[in-house]
Amino acid sequence: MTQDPLYREIILEHWQNPQNYGRIKDPDIDVSQINPTCGDKIKLTGKIKNGKLTEVAFEGEGCAISKASASLFTQQIKNMPITKIKKLKNEDVLKNLPASITAARHNCALLCFNALRKGLK
Amino acid sequence: MKNNFKKDFPIFTNRPTLIYLDNAATTQKPKSMIEAVINFYTEYNSNVHRGVYDLSFKATEVYEGTRAKVANFINAKNSSEIVFTGNATEAINLIAWGHAKKNLKGGDVVILSEMEHNSNVVPWIRLKEELGIKIFYLPVNKDFELDYEALFKANLDIKKVKIISLTQASNVLGTINPLEKIIPILKEKCSNAKFLIDAAQSVAHVGVDVQKLGCDFLVFSAHKMYGPSGIGVLWAKQELLEIMEPIFSGGNMVEEVTKKKAIFLPPPAKFEAGTGKLEAVAGLGAAIDYINSIGFKKITSLDQYLVKYGLKTLNKIKGIKIYGSKKSKNRLPIFTFNILNLHPHDVSEILNRNQICVRAGHHCAHVLLQSLNTAGTLRASLSIYNSTEDIDKLVKGLEETKKIFKV
Repeated sequence: MTQDPLYREIILEHWQNPQNYGRIKDPDIDVSQINPTCGDKIKLTGKIKNGKLTEVAFEGEGCAISKASASLFTQQIKNMPITKIKKLKNEDVLKNLPASITAARHNCALLCFNALRKGLK
Repeated sequence: MKNNFKKDFPIFTNRPTLIYLDNAATTQKPKSMIEAVINFYTEYNSNVHRGVYDLSFKATEVYEGTRAKVANFINAKNSSEIVFTGNATEAINLIAWGHAKKNLKGGDVVILSEMEHNSNVVPWIRLKEELGIKIFYLPVNKDFELDYEALFKANLDIKKVKIISLTQASNVLGTINPLEKIIPILKEKCSNAKFLIDAAQSVAHVGVDVQKLGCDFLVFSAHKMYGPSGIGVLWAKQELLEIMEPIFSGGNMVEEVTKKKAIFLPPPAKFEAGTGKLEAVAGLGAAIDYINSIGFKKITSLDQYLVKYGLKTLNKIKGIKIYGSKKSKNRLPIFTFNILNLHPHDVSEILNRNQICVRAGHHCAHVLLQSLNTAGTLRASLSIYNSTEDIDKLVKGLEETKKIFKV
């Protein structure tokens, strides 16, 4: 069977076994974000040390796209300097996802990033 | 199965592969209704209740003629009991702010049910904040039916129950509430209550009869009954309309205006400030003609056929959980469900690739979804142009989705 262009093997893998899933104790970042399209909610927690995001975790229910992209995104930003995270744009996050995300699903794919942006404000 | 009605809807000629299963959100439009809207603009466009010239006379005739058609359609005593609003939501707001705000005070009780659409929840929450009224929600039992008897077990001062506002059919569960049986029972206990019925979901499926129902207010939208969007109906007993306050005021609703004072016209004009949605009213009239040409006997028998086939076929899918009665009686062809751990949006994305339109999410019924303990579901809602083949294609699409997600 040929791979689905959106629900690729790697997306399904991260959906079923999300990385950095859970909650960080005594977090410096603790923020919730709702996807306006569907009402799905994500909770993001993180720890900052020496200007770097040393620990990050997310939890909440969501579609395969939002869960997989949160998993991949948290991997992407772990140990990244906060100054660099603050410079990230939507395209940088979408580019990092190994699937062609249609515009209709951008809110799903960017849910975790939007939560982090809110948390760093 | 052969469907005799699909040909009446031009969208299916333009999109022959479309499987439209989101009729609880809005129905498709028959050619005769679309033509009525076009005819308004191309044949007799002019304002109503104004000119003495032929064109305006014709426009007024269609506008008021539709009011009479609506009255006849829901068996109102008089067409002056029919108020045109923007939609069912606007009609409920008119009752909340025009009637309830004037007649209710802190401590009074409004009874709703857990299966109400947000349109019949949010205006009452706002009124609660404004007046300090209480809201009591009748629960849904394990068979997804309205547990109206819960009202008698609740710790409520029954004399303070001033409004009982219920949907005739749930837009999520498909349950048709047996209101003709329930209203007299509740009325006997809650003698101070006025009854409001939300018929938005039921009006295209069951013959609505306000006199048989014994309610005081009833609302619905045209767009869920093959009519245009932007037009809805408030029906209320004449004596209630007389004392209700309008929300909007201005032209078209006044008998006399001086520098200091305005005297309102009697209802329904009192509630129709400004120029209305004239072409949409013409469309609503044509939508009623279309439904009448088929008749509710045929519509309900088709609904029942689809309900039975849908329940039988969908229940064969492994891992499906249907939120709705297992029985076909008193049930609309609305199937709300989840499959295993699949998120509704992922499923509808795959279905969409096969031009299958279903709704994914909360269906504007947050209170119900909270009591069902789910954040979102899929919903396939059927209408007269749907067939058993559409259900088969939905099932095929769902099986394909399971394959893609390897569940």
